[in-house]
Amino acid sequence: MPKLIIDNIPVEVAEGTTVLEAAQSVDIPIPHFCWHPALGKAGACRVCAVKMLDGPVKGIQMSCMLPVMEEMVVSTTDPEAMAMRRSVIEWLMINHPHDCPVCDEGGECQLQDYTIAGGHGIRRYTGTKRTHVNQQLGPYIEHEMNRCIQCYRCVRFYQEYAGGTDFGVMGSAGRVYFGRFQDGPLESPFSGNLVDICPTGVFTDKTARFRARYWDYDMAPSICQECSLGCSITPVARYRELLKIIGRRNDAVNAWFICDRGRFSAATPVNNPLRPRTPRIEGREAGWDSALDAIVQRVSELLKNHGPGCIALVGSQRLSLEGMALLPELSTIMLADAPCYFCDERERVQTSAAVTGLTGAISASMADIRQADCIAIVDVDLMAEAPMMVLAVRQAWRSGAGVYSIGETVDLPCECTAVATLDDVPLATAQRPVIICGTSGFTTARQYVSLPMAKGEPVKISCILPGPNSFSAALFSHEHAAISLEQAISSGRIKGIIAVEADIPPELSADIPVIAALDWRNTDTVAAAQIILPTTAWAEMDGTCINNEGRAQHFRKTMNPGLPVHGLNPAGHPSHLHRTIPPGGDLRPAWQIIDELIVRMGGTRTTEQLNGKWEKLRHLDAEGDGLPIYEL
Amino acid sequence: MIPENMRQELQNRIASAVTNREAAVDVMKSLQAHYGWLTDEAVVEAAELLGLTPLQIEELATFYEMIYRRPVGRYVIHVCDSISCWAMGGETVMGKIAGLLGISVGGTTADGLFTLLPCCCLGNCGQSPTLMIGDTIYNRVTAESAAELIEQYRNP
Repeated sequence: MPKLIIDNIPVEVAEGTTVLEAAQSVDIPIPHFCWHPALGKAGACRVCAVKMLDGPVKGIQMSCMLPVMEEMVVSTTDPEAMAMRRSVIEWLMINHPHDCPVCDEGGECQLQDYTIAGGHGIRRYTGTKRTHVNQQLGPYIEHEMNRCIQCYRCVRFYQEYAGGTDFGVMGSAGRVYFGRFQDGPLESPFSGNLVDICPTGVFTDKTARFRARYWDYDMAPSICQECSLGCSITPVARYRELLKIIGRRNDAVNAWFICDRGRFSAATPVNNPLRPRTPRIEGREAGWDSALDAIVQRVSELLKNHGPGCIALVGSQRLSLEGMALLPELSTIMLADAPCYFCDERERVQTSAAVTGLTGAISASMADIRQADCIAIVDVDLMAEAPMMVLAVRQAWRSGAGVYSIGETVDLPCECTAVATLDDVPLATAQRPVIICGTSGFTTARQYVSLPMAKGEPVKISCILPGPNSFSAALFSHEHAAISLEQAISSGRIKGIIAVEADIPPELSADIPVIAALDWRNTDTVAAAQIILPTTAWAEMDGTCINNEGRAQHFRKTMNPGLPVHGLNPAGHPSHLHRTIPPGGDLRPAWQIIDELIVRMGGTRTTEQLNGKWEKLRHLDAEGDGLPIYEL
Repeated sequence: MIPENMRQELQNRIASAVTNREAAVDVMKSLQAHYGWLTDEAVVEAAELLGLTPLQIEELATFYEMIYRRPVGRYVIHVCDSISCWAMGGETVMGKIAGLLGISVGGTTADGLFTLLPCCCLGNCGQSPTLMIGDTIYNRVTAESAAELIEQYRNP
């Protein structure tokens, strides 16, 4: 491990580390545009200049291009280095328009930060600027090429990291242009990352265009709820509207990026004006007390007429861990059988088999996928069920891993060999082999864990699950020996259903009334329910979920609930009602409603939702990597 | 649309390359010779022939200054404006030619005969200043010899 000195601080870092990273490791920030931890170096922007005072290399050097060497003495504050950086910034700004006030990146712009930090406050250049014609890149991304500083981050991400072929860099010298051959939507399912990765405002989120500035954002560390991978995100809200979603770093899961589905489709249901906003009894608005009492009354009547076991409490794979943990208590007090965490019996059996069959030793994280040297994909359409897994597989392939697919042909942005069975995959001779499967393929994949290995580590498995919190649902289902709703109904004893953020197939509830639906989505089940209790969406509450690997992750409340100001009927303003909560804002997290029902049924109020083995998750850091539940 | 025999010829050229991409410049030059410049249609045709996307062809086409993505005259005059030729009077030659043709650098004469383009090093620094018309390189060009050259191309 080479030892060097940076700004008088002795640093010891691993061989191959760059001077820029070595400086970052001791909290010395060096300005940079083209260098990015996930993309590496390009040496294109010249803004990370430092001065080497002593050692094997001397003079002004680009810190992102220079690997650390023994006896280096580096200065980031040397006048010569600072003058160099200031000049580079001034030069990069020559063609950059003075349009920060109308640019969506303003306030969260790396170029803005480094221009000011570099001391280039006043323009000296008075000549004409290079200009470009922008392209229409589809509904999600706004293109403004005049702002470009040629760091090449976008094209390196799009082509190298994500394997896209319809976006690139054209021209040469002062005319380089980053775009497509012709106008048209970007084809890569990871195109939204251009917004995050561009150090200035060439690519901005069209869906949130001109809506808010960085310093006005409601933001919190959160977890994507679009699939079972649980990628880290930062939702951005303002005026009670979820504006956009930004990728958040989590080295164990999604690394730096997120998929377009997570970025561009998660906000729509949260902002949906048709969301349930007030408790309702038989379609009429009601207060929380009367709605809760009505449920208790109807449950009591059913119990009197039909005896214990006539109520089915139904959870779901999108309910947070806190809600799931309280459901068994409510079912006990309602003299019901264990809650149904699954509607479909087959799904319950397969998901439970996968979740109970996984252990800490064999469950592969997405980091394991990226580092694997042999990957077998068994009968699962990753692009549809877990898009970010595709990006992880591609990173492994870029590092030389062999990728094989069995069954369903998959369209991946990397070479992939179709084989008949897992026996045809050279797992036994690999160093770090991984099988990626769906729940239906888990049992077969599981057998390969005990495969005798020539010299590598045993086979690990990454099993894609049906929903964002399927792992928790399967754990609770298993722990309480719960059956599916399908099975419960076939017993003939169920006379009423209480659905907690559950989507109940209409054929299951055809003859059985849904007494109550607790939900934040405007679902068919909500429409069919006698009593509706509106819950907070994931962005409006704290919660915990467990991803497909078995990693418990905490998400924090981003915004206060309420009808988004944007889109409200102006005729309704100003409201003359006195109120302390915004319109449509009187929502409660599902677990609180469950708790309230427990109290009204004669139980005791819960002071802490996570008990027993879940206790360790109470103080889970939402900004950390999460915690594999195998360590509980 | 390119004629079938040309398509076949290009396919053979591509088949003899180690990778398709390696044949891209040859394919673009052939298409350019056929159309006069590399039209949008030609970019798409090149992409199809080479099994690349139009963007990947465009990246190459716009990088090379002798692939023309806009219509050009029958004779394209490339005048080197790199350091050696500039030091030896390339700028004067360029100005003279522009004056003779009555166009600015980058323009095409109204009769469609000439296009004047600056270019970056023709690898002929020892004989600077230098220029290229079509595929022919001319050495130690002066304002006078440039005028003669233009006349030769005008009235061959």
